[in-house]
Amino acid sequence: MAEPSNAPCLAVNGLVTGYDARNVLTGVSLSLDPGELVTVVGPNGHGKSTLLRAISGLLPVRKGSISLNGRVISGKPAHRVAADGVIHVPQGDLLFAGMSVLENLQMGAYLDSDQAAVARRLDEVFTLLPKLAERRPQIAASLSGGERRMVGIGRGLMMKGSAMLIDEPSLGLAPIIIEQIYEVIARLKASGRTILLVEENPARVADIADRIHLLDNGAFVWSGEPAVLLQRDELLATYLGG
Amino acid sequence: MKREDLAHLLIGLVALAAAVALPFYVDSRYVIGQVTLGLFYAIVASQWNLLFGFSGVFSLAQTALFGFGGYATAMLCFYFGLNVWIAMPLAAIATVLFSLVIGAACLRLSGAYTALLTLAVAQVMYLLIVTDTDCFVMVGTQCRQLTGGAVGFARFGDLGTRAMFKAKFLVADYALVVALFAITMVFTWAIIRGPIGLAFRALRDNPGCAMARGISRFQMQLLVFGLSAFFTGLAGGLYAAHFNAIGPGVLSFSQLFFIIAMVVVGGIGRLWGPLVGAIVLVAADEAMREIGEFRSLGLGIIIAAVMVLMPNGLIGLFESIWDRLRRLRSRSPAITAEISGDTPA
Amino acid sequence: MEIIGPVLVSGITTGALYALATLGLSLVWGSLGMLNMAHGTLLTLGGYAAFTAASQLGLPVPLAVLAAAAVGGVIGALIFMLVAYPLSRRSPETFETTIMIATFGVALTLENAVLRLYGGQPLGQPLSVGGAINLGGFALPWQNLIIMVSAIALMGATALFLTRTKAGRAIRATAQNPDAAKLMGVPVARVYLQVLILSGMLAGVCGVLVSSITQLSPSLGADPMLKAFIMCVVAGLGNLPGAIITSFGLAIVEALVQFLAGARWGFPALLAIVILVLIRRPGGLFGRVEVRRL
Repeated sequence: MAEPSNAPCLAVNGLVTGYDARNVLTGVSLSLDPGELVTVVGPNGHGKSTLLRAISGLLPVRKGSISLNGRVISGKPAHRVAADGVIHVPQGDLLFAGMSVLENLQMGAYLDSDQAAVARRLDEVFTLLPKLAERRPQIAASLSGGERRMVGIGRGLMMKGSAMLIDEPSLGLAPIIIEQIYEVIARLKASGRTILLVEENPARVADIADRIHLLDNGAFVWSGEPAVLLQRDELLATYLGG
Repeated sequence: MKREDLAHLLIGLVALAAAVALPFYVDSRYVIGQVTLGLFYAIVASQWNLLFGFSGVFSLAQTALFGFGGYATAMLCFYFGLNVWIAMPLAAIATVLFSLVIGAACLRLSGAYTALLTLAVAQVMYLLIVTDTDCFVMVGTQCRQLTGGAVGFARFGDLGTRAMFKAKFLVADYALVVALFAITMVFTWAIIRGPIGLAFRALRDNPGCAMARGISRFQMQLLVFGLSAFFTGLAGGLYAAHFNAIGPGVLSFSQLFFIIAMVVVGGIGRLWGPLVGAIVLVAADEAMREIGEFRSLGLGIIIAAVMVLMPNGLIGLFESIWDRLRRLRSRSPAITAEISGDTPA
Repeated sequence: MEIIGPVLVSGITTGALYALATLGLSLVWGSLGMLNMAHGTLLTLGGYAAFTAASQLGLPVPLAVLAAAAVGGVIGALIFMLVAYPLSRRSPETFETTIMIATFGVALTLENAVLRLYGGQPLGQPLSVGGAINLGGFALPWQNLIIMVSAIALMGATALFLTRTKAGRAIRATAQNPDAAKLMGVPVARVYLQVLILSGMLAGVCGVLVSSITQLSPSLGADPMLKAFIMCVVAGLGNLPGAIITSFGLAIVEALVQFLAGARWGFPALLAIVILVLIRRPGGLFGRVEVRRL
């Protein structure tokens, strides 16, 4: 009995895409069941961000398909994909630099017209990220790197969505801040969210990820459990510089 | 010789041959006069194309420089009694100097800024001329302003063609303009295919590397700004000499629109774009002359429509048709496979 | 110094007009990265629309002003749908300059359409009010006061719209980061359309105000537009509050120069100031150098 509820939350099949005349991804497939946290790691410039951008619709798909809860989302423009339920926390935050922390979070709730629900979610975000509560009126451009990262995640949490894509949450941050960010991500995973995470270094995600894919030259060269990857020294050395 | 240069040479020779043949087949003074006028526009358009299409400078001061050359020629003749043939090159040099001043002020920034500032300069020039009411000199009982005011200058000097060729002087003037156009095109071609053109291609394709090699966009653009001003100013001087008159009308925006439209319709960044555009638009203008009052309206629609529908102009359209025909004939499998993601067999 | 009064009146009135004209232009520039060369004709069309509504259709003043706003908004929408949007898809890299040429063409077309429909002779705007109010021995014409108040009211309303409403927030967000806005579910193309409609409406009303103290002619919008461009450039592209402050400031300077040296020196003085500012601060007085693109 094939039920739609058995469909994976997010499924990518044979994805081929890229920029200009090049293809960056040459056939990527993966799937996430509800509540899973799957990580894609790999050397820089090999397509990790491209994968997330294709899923969220910022980049057109050339071959293959992407579906969310059984419904096809590939080929739709980014704002429709967001409406369907894909939350993309992009690399480098992409905050609205001239707007305040509060306004950035409010933009996350753009698609929601239920004021009460939005207010509740705002409270939840401030509880999860208390530092943001202190800085509600502060303009985003004046925040520190870690605070900006939190605004990006908070903004994503303000959206109603079934799948969350997070692109390199540790990028450019000091180790202490990275720990704090990952604490937040761990709590999100614990609360049952479906998360596709892109990272450079697999060590940080080993504890929370259900599965890891190693992306190199536009395709997955290895997939499995994080603990296993951390023991395969030759993979770590070749692809991730030890 | 490279294939591209060969094509340019062929087109140039054909155009020259047609231009030379024209007066033998057409007797009408009106037609010769209109073609002459069209060629003046084409010269200015070719320099604007050099600036914008090849060097990336969106300047709206081109007709102001044209006018500057014309006015400088007229004023040199009027106030200093110089012969028109001496005044013209002097005026061209003056135009270059003027353009360098404008360029130094306006070129440091990006497209929209340059457009605005050059537009403002052109507008100021026009306003200062037209609103001048101080009597600079008295001619008989008439008050004349320094720059001629709204009336401009007339009867300040002659090319000498009327005396030499009597009734056929119009053809002689036409020949002069054809010669100037030919020289301008050779000059433009030399710049594009020479080190300056190379520098701009480098700036476009790999700005970081180009700048590391010491190529400064600002300096290159200023250089082209000055160079293109020479022939623009010279054309302005010849224009003033040909009509033996110059007035602020030459600075009007409708002239500017016409020039830009020519380049857009012909093909921005294509060497022969201005000529193609000039031919098409002057012909269209003639055709619309019957309709009379809708000329400017038609011109506006043409500019907007061409920009939206065929941004690379007629030559660009021709190029893409040619490309498609070539690809249909060769059908290269490797390229199509790469783009569609198949691994090559 | 008895020129202070007239200079201030003239300066603040024209400042209000410039600011209103600049507001629409700056909005479009900041959001779409597009310099709308047809902005001036939107003013012209607004002025003529009000004229038609008031004197030819006999409609009351408020409706005439609404007609001006409506015409401006509709033309703005058409410019987006027929010119800006197709051009942005066809050649995004050269958009900044191709849109200038294309809107150039639109401006030429519209200006000549007005010339065809209404003739070239200047017309009087029936919506203007005569008389003056006496302020301690100095006469402030009613029309100037109306212009100042209306312009400031409109700017205030726009500011409230942009900062307090969801649609306004979406406009600002899209201007600052279109990709991020898309990820939040904002239909960015529709936002751009809204910006162009808003800018058109503001321009239309501005045209009514301008024609109420000058005269109605097909080239009505040309001078305000050029001044608006200059204000935007001096302030820094896309900076709305800066553009408004600059408008008032430069207008007062222009009035002063005109009173002291003669009317014809006002614009050259502005140009000189612009060039000086840009040499010292290429991003404009208040600007960040970034310009958002479609």
